[in-house]
Amino acid sequence: MAREISTGRKAVITTVAWAVALLIFFPILWTVLTSFKTEGEAVNSHPAFLFFDWTLENYHAVNERSDYLAHFWNSVVISLGSTLAGLIIAVPAAWAMAFVPGKHTKDLLMWMLSTKMLPAVGVLVPLYLLARDTGLLDTRTGLVIVLTMVNLPIIVWMLYTYFKEIPAEILEAARMDGATLSSEILYVLTPMAVPGIASTLLLNVILAWNESFWTLNLSAANAAPLTAFIASYSSPEGLFYAKLSAASTMAIAPILILGWFSQKQLVRGLTFGAVK
Amino acid sequence: MTMSLRTLLGATMLVAAAGSASAQTTITVATVNNGDMIRMQRLMPDFAAKHPDIKVNWVTLEENVLRQRVTTDIASKGGQYDVLTIGNYEVPIWAKQNWLLPLENLGADYDQADLLPQVAAALTVDGKLYAAPFYAESSMLMYRTDLLEKAGLKMPENPDWDFIAEAAEKMTDKAAGVYGICLRGKAGWGENMALITSMNNSMGGAWFDMEWKPEFNGPEWKQTLDTYLKLMNNYGPPGASSNGFNENLALFQTGKCGMWIDATVAASFISDPKESQVADKVGFAPAPIRAGGSNHGNWLWSWNLAIPASSAKQDAAKTFVAWATSPDYTKLVAEKEGIANVPPGTRTSLYENEAYLKAAPFAPMTLKAIQSTNTQKPSDKQVPYTGAQFVAIPEFQAIGTAVGQQFSAALAGRASAEQALAASQTLTSREMTRAGYPK
Amino acid sequence: MATQASRTAGRLMLSPAVILLLLWMIVPLGMTIYFSFLRFNLLMPGTEAFTGFENYSYFFTDPAFWPALVNTLVLVTGVLAITVGGGIALAVLLDQPMWGQGLVRVLVIAPFFVMPSVSALVWKNMLMNPVNGLFAALARGLGLPPIDFFADIPLASIIVIVAWQWLPFATLILFTAMQSLDREQMEAAEMDGAGPLWRFVHLTLPHLTRAMTVVVLIQTIFLLSVFAEILVTTNGGPGTASTTLTFLVYMQSMLQFDVGLGSAGGIVAVLLANIVAIFLMRMIGKNLEA
Repeated sequence: MAREISTGRKAVITTVAWAVALLIFFPILWTVLTSFKTEGEAVNSHPAFLFFDWTLENYHAVNERSDYLAHFWNSVVISLGSTLAGLIIAVPAAWAMAFVPGKHTKDLLMWMLSTKMLPAVGVLVPLYLLARDTGLLDTRTGLVIVLTMVNLPIIVWMLYTYFKEIPAEILEAARMDGATLSSEILYVLTPMAVPGIASTLLLNVILAWNESFWTLNLSAANAAPLTAFIASYSSPEGLFYAKLSAASTMAIAPILILGWFSQKQLVRGLTFGAVK
Repeated sequence: MTMSLRTLLGATMLVAAAGSASAQTTITVATVNNGDMIRMQRLMPDFAAKHPDIKVNWVTLEENVLRQRVTTDIASKGGQYDVLTIGNYEVPIWAKQNWLLPLENLGADYDQADLLPQVAAALTVDGKLYAAPFYAESSMLMYRTDLLEKAGLKMPENPDWDFIAEAAEKMTDKAAGVYGICLRGKAGWGENMALITSMNNSMGGAWFDMEWKPEFNGPEWKQTLDTYLKLMNNYGPPGASSNGFNENLALFQTGKCGMWIDATVAASFISDPKESQVADKVGFAPAPIRAGGSNHGNWLWSWNLAIPASSAKQDAAKTFVAWATSPDYTKLVAEKEGIANVPPGTRTSLYENEAYLKAAPFAPMTLKAIQSTNTQKPSDKQVPYTGAQFVAIPEFQAIGTAVGQQFSAALAGRASAEQALAASQTLTSREMTRAGYPK
Repeated sequence: MATQASRTAGRLMLSPAVILLLLWMIVPLGMTIYFSFLRFNLLMPGTEAFTGFENYSYFFTDPAFWPALVNTLVLVTGVLAITVGGGIALAVLLDQPMWGQGLVRVLVIAPFFVMPSVSALVWKNMLMNPVNGLFAALARGLGLPPIDFFADIPLASIIVIVAWQWLPFATLILFTAMQSLDREQMEAAEMDGAGPLWRFVHLTLPHLTRAMTVVVLIQTIFLLSVFAEILVTTNGGPGTASTTLTFLVYMQSMLQFDVGLGSAGGIVAVLLANIVAIFLMRMIGKNLEA
């Protein structure tokens, strides 16, 4: 099975791959490094890479100014909440599309996807007025609802492509055995679809975590997630590079770590039906 | 340390006691992320100790985002905020819409008569104060005394634009990373247009004639823009078209600018040795005039705390506003953070305070700049509007920013001065027609 | 195969998603269409009046309209070209045997996890800033004049930032698709003396077509609404050099608070997005049919 390959060639490939990977990763690495510099060091015209006086003062400054934990918790609730709500609505829909396809299933799917093309800025004022009238401004519930709707098409589509890969014969067999519809979904389909559901969940948590238009515009203090936290560091007076780096690192670290730990899961499922 | 810890513990206990006795009121304060406001957030334990029944939630945002958010909220009566940080541009416009609560009876300690008359006038509509000034600023010239000396020049009492050009040329040393002059270039009505409008006022120009026709095809704007572009293209830093106040502040603090014409509040930041590498080498002068002219074109800007009329917690909001803008707050900052760091420009008493004048050598220049503003008659010409570096009409944000984009493009070399002015004339006429001027 | 009962069940299961999305689309869209025919400025309440197509005519004659349309297309195609091209290259590279492949993959996908506003802030301030940025420091080190990214090449700079964020996504999907490449066919071709280039063009690329269309579709949806990156870096300037349609609509509805004009712009943007969508769907539909 394994292809013959010389150690020399492998070494070359390894070197190239690492160089490219480090290049792509560099902006993040640089941000993390800068967050440990003093403000003066951060704008030094001969920037130091590793050899500077490491300091935690920026993290102290950021923590003194903002309630990181509150923002973090809002981000967790909103991204998880909207993803779970989306899954609950999308699983039956995707199931129906995959196993009881009608004439217009594909059109329906494409239409769902096209609702994502609604430019958010164009409908901000109408939605703001709606949120005001329903008392959902600056509430986590309001943001969960909006983000559920924003990401629902993607969730439906991802699930649809996984479900389609499940051979229909298995379902037939289950039906022969007298399985009801709900037990069919629960005991036959779901276990087979777990990898797909898991990767859908992951991708949508990431998308919801990073969504910065609605989360910023429909929240003030109570529901403000990390996107609002970072917005307050965008250009304060004076030198701020190191503090900005510290705030950035804090804002992206949770999802970066989650993404890294679950990347196998994510990669496995992230096909959108592109693989035969 | 132990003392403050004990106070803190005491305060916490008080809060706990109060919490059990009467419900706590929570107010949401929207504010801008600049130094003085962040300092206020650090001083909140004092407010909490004095008013344990009020809890304050902060929403701190960058200026443009803040403006967009609070405007959306107040115009649609969203009621998300109980205290807003807004500029003296918004205050009269919003007050006329009855969106703001008039600030009467801010308490005996507030001392409204102590407010600088120019600043208070800009916040007063029909004799009522609609916002409490937190700090106010005008414009002035800040320069590096060491570089000017090296250039063999002496700062005149009232520098004109010709002198600025000469000094900028002699101070520039690009090899050493020193640029003769730093000016705002980032597009925005509150960014480059604040500076360029002030500059145009000093040149004798104006935004509109008495029929509300834009004046970009006049000789004053041409002279203003030519001077601005000449200075910046020859002696300015690279990337100037995306530099606003903050970017220029960072440049000046790290010793990369010879001169900088900007807000007077910058004076305390560039003179603070903790933040600035050139703290001991800065000088101050009035904003430049045209050769032979007398109008410095000083701008007047203040950040103010206002209460939306739609807020359900007006009493708590008022208590907070009074705390944050009273003379006592000044004392608190002086005690905790040093007297040079108190929010400047709002109160006469501050400029009669010996300790402040000693700690802040730039104070007399700031006071002079603020006192020489004339928002009622910004230009030598007759104009139908008020406002110094802006035109106090609701349409101005959009027009000012669109024109700012044109000038920023000219600075980036993407358009000539003539093209930028012609485009500005067209787009301003268009917007004014749409808005139905002359009214 | 589907029985009548399962068909009904299918409809039942489908309906919540469909109804919710319909509401989500129709309610704001209906309000936006309604507003687009009104003179409606948030800053001047009480002046609302029906104006017919005035907002639309103002939007189309806005001097920034055509540049914005062109910029939008340039941005989308530019990012797509970089991410698809780069994604294929990276997928092929990652598919080779090497030491530490897992770690390399972790590093490559990292930008996808960074929120857009953070990545814009980081690129703008710490890398591309012409005075204090790292690129400027590198240029000075080489004795070159620093590039003033956001003044001289604003749109290209934004394309680079956005492409950096989306490259991992493209790479991931293309890499996953590579895994199912028929190795035996590859080896057979190699035995027959086919060079690596021939194998890439005739075996690898065709295999990746489907994955590429998926990448194009999904990314286009997100790229049409790119916003934070522009707001943070150039604010659409200098001039209109980096104003896209989304950003133009933002300027009108959130800066001028001209809800009528902004709504008209929003409707135009929806129509244009749908044209792109139909075009894409056709393409994808064909590819997904298999």
